[in-house]
Amino acid sequence: MKASLFVFVLLCVQAYGQVKLTGVILNADREALPGVNVFLVDTYDGTSTDDQGRFEFLTTEKGVRTLHATFVGFKPYRQNVTIADQDFQLEIILEEEINELQAVTITAGGFTASDESRRTIFRALDIATTAGATADIAGALNTLPGTQKVGESGRLFVRGGDGNETRTFIDGLVVLDAYGPAAPNTPSRGRFLPFMFKGMSFSTGGYSSEYGQALSSALVLDSKDKSERTRTDFGILSVGGDVGHTQSWDRGSLAGKIQYTNLRPYVGMIRQEIDWKNAPVSLEGSSAFRHTVGKSGVLKFYGNFNHSNFSLYNHDIDDNAEKELFDLTNNYRYLNGFYKNALNTAWSVRGGFSYTYLQNKRQTETETFDEVEKGLHLKTVLEGSLSDHVELKTGAEIIARSFNQSVDPKTPQAIVAGFEEYITSIFAEADVFASNRFVVRTGARMEHNNLLQKLSVDPRLSMAYKIVSGGQISIAYGKFRQSPRNEHLMQDHTLNPERATHYILNYQHIKNNKTFRIETYYKKYTQLIKFLDGDPTNLSNLGGGDAKGIELFWRDNGSVNNLDYWITYSYLDTKRYYLDFPSRATPGFASKHNASIVAKYFVQKIKSQLGFTYSFTSGRPYNDPNVSGFNSLRTPNYADLSFNWSYLPFPTVIVYFSCTNVLGRDNIFGYEYSTVPSEDGHFNGRAIRQPAPRFLFLGIFITLSKDKSVNQLPEL
Amino acid sequence: MKTLSIFFLLQAWFSFMNPSFIVDNKYAEAMAKNIQTVYSSQSISELQSAVNSFERIGATEKIKWEPYYYAGFGYIMLANVEQSASKKDLYLDQALKAIEAAKKIKAKDVEITALEGFVHMIRLSVDPASRGQQYSSLAMQNFSQALSIDSENPRALALMAQMEYGTAQFFGSSTKEACATNESALQKFTTFKSDNPFAPQWGKAMAEKMKLQCKD
Repeated sequence: MKASLFVFVLLCVQAYGQVKLTGVILNADREALPGVNVFLVDTYDGTSTDDQGRFEFLTTEKGVRTLHATFVGFKPYRQNVTIADQDFQLEIILEEEINELQAVTITAGGFTASDESRRTIFRALDIATTAGATADIAGALNTLPGTQKVGESGRLFVRGGDGNETRTFIDGLVVLDAYGPAAPNTPSRGRFLPFMFKGMSFSTGGYSSEYGQALSSALVLDSKDKSERTRTDFGILSVGGDVGHTQSWDRGSLAGKIQYTNLRPYVGMIRQEIDWKNAPVSLEGSSAFRHTVGKSGVLKFYGNFNHSNFSLYNHDIDDNAEKELFDLTNNYRYLNGFYKNALNTAWSVRGGFSYTYLQNKRQTETETFDEVEKGLHLKTVLEGSLSDHVELKTGAEIIARSFNQSVDPKTPQAIVAGFEEYITSIFAEADVFASNRFVVRTGARMEHNNLLQKLSVDPRLSMAYKIVSGGQISIAYGKFRQSPRNEHLMQDHTLNPERATHYILNYQHIKNNKTFRIETYYKKYTQLIKFLDGDPTNLSNLGGGDAKGIELFWRDNGSVNNLDYWITYSYLDTKRYYLDFPSRATPGFASKHNASIVAKYFVQKIKSQLGFTYSFTSGRPYNDPNVSGFNSLRTPNYADLSFNWSYLPFPTVIVYFSCTNVLGRDNIFGYEYSTVPSEDGHFNGRAIRQPAPRFLFLGIFITLSKDKSVNQLPEL
Repeated sequence: MKTLSIFFLLQAWFSFMNPSFIVDNKYAEAMAKNIQTVYSSQSISELQSAVNSFERIGATEKIKWEPYYYAGFGYIMLANVEQSASKKDLYLDQALKAIEAAKKIKAKDVEITALEGFVHMIRLSVDPASRGQQYSSLAMQNFSQALSIDSENPRALALMAQMEYGTAQFFGSSTKEACATNESALQKFTTFKSDNPFAPQWGKAMAEKMKLQCKD
């Protein structure tokens, strides 16, 4: 945009051949700008504006010269002036630059955590230091608004959505099954540690058209760039150990880590609700390669393998003495390649691939289930600026997945089922900044699904308006779709994707290290999988539902020295008609009220950070076949107070201790009932409880490197 | 971690350069005047105006790194005087821009590299608790790199000593190493000579202040 310039009065002729240039520099609201650098290009003639935005300088130059005015936060201003023998008076209006620190951003539905961007309200490091999460990404994000704590799952349940409605992406590339295996009713942990990421964005709705195949939420993780130092790390954990090494050179780095986890000694010491035969043991290796390409390009590879096993006895609800063995072996590999480079100053290209291999082998005394899922994701994105006011992002991707399940393949009656799915998509999105105050993002995503041979288009729209400095309002709308769960799609390849529509309204205010956020939403589900006549082999897309709620977030890390805390509250009202539900009902994972208080306090004297997290969840629905009405009863409220302690005795050592549920509250997640009534017609039931009241963790992390600066956080 | 008080000692540490060289042209005159300002002024408008001058000189001269170096230094001083954290960051962003421009003219220079580390060090001081890990690492990297170019540079040594001291103080470990680095910085300040009339001259007062702390 061209700024406006008015050349005003021409004054009298000066002696000595010198001409005086005077003027005033204002912003668009006609307020004076002091400190603006104003000068004639390629000369020494120039000055800075005073408190009233005025300037005055002499020049001996003659003829056509370029006048330049520059100031932090404003677009550089250029104007050709013809200098004759007369003095000049100018009025210059500088136009505000659309920049990261000043411009409005779309906040509806999104939480961004970054170590790089300094304006975010949640940092990547916050994940690692949230008590109760034990450095698990989902665990920490569960203290943010929009999530429902489902203690026996550990996954992210967002706004009345099931755990599988949240999709994880690393550097924009999908991760199939981002959680490690867990025994029934025990929380699973994410497969990726927060330390390997420099930033993350957790969206609880209305997210970018770049992300598809997620009904409720997208968790987008950005891996760190090249490591800056060569180092070796050791971790001694109460449940195992790890060793890692990072080699860094001028233009790249290579890191590798191997970790062994064994819960057997731990469960041997602390009484468990679960009757373990063999508690979980896992071996995991990961490696990251980073390389700088050209001036600003980056090439990244990340790979991870994991082998884990556990076995336990499931006890019969009617007769506790009767038990059945359950054995699970999980093999997992993930490989991610990413490339990003600038094409020119305005445009850049990024892309890559991800490959996931996942095998679950479940054995009981009578049957063996073997399921294998493989996924390949190829993606490329072109993004840049069409002008100062329009940013465009466009890309294409293919997600190819295969899933195969066989039951007891050794016998001739083996049941083998599976599917191969190819989803090809293109997407485009434009951010149009009307000013630093107002932005509109419009986008669309087109998908083609090979199983259905159908083409679909999902629109997305969001906008944000900055009302006052630090305060802004945003809205978001979008349509989202996701293929049915593997076990359903495997049975019926003609099932349509499940669909959701999000409507979000958000207000956010950030000032002096204090953040206040309020958000309300409505989400409509259609085409959910429904069993016809209650028969789980007879599937349809006749289900549906909705969710609505209001959420509050308050964070303050400025009022009390060394204290940082946040408080969240989420209200959720959701009902759905899906799977085996005989009528519309609130699903068992959804709780009406969720609240968390997270506090972190740094005590310099003992070189420690102390963290506390209190979580509260109101009773969740459960179905008791002995009473009429489906899912009509509620469990007692859930509450948990967790504590962690990070102690830094030396720059190279960090000691980390954490304890969940310090008060030892007996939380009940739900009830399960026998499928057949006993002789008196009553269905026997039992409560689903925490495997143990508390989980204790102790880790000592040691870093060896040539220089002894503060840097104890692991790379992987 | 917020009380890494060491970083706040940096405020009263400018040492004046001696403009003994003959001011024989417009460039030298403009440089001398504004260098004086960035070394001594505590006023935002004065500093901003000096920085503006350096940017004008830099844009005109095109092949001299010094104007950009002092523009960068001036922005660091602005960040020091400024109270608001977000504005401090804005000034430090500008400082890095100026340093980048200087690096384009003179690659792998000990003074420019040390100044870049200084930006990270001030950035760290804005919010040590959350920035400590990232920026201490970046600052240390710059200081080590500067010393690998010239192990005798007094400013690189003095800044390195500041980082070592801050780290040692935080962990309650011995400051012996930091104080030794500082001693060698002080020694190099007395012997430091440059043919360049606009070579950086600052940093001695900072090292002397630290010496007093080392005695305690």
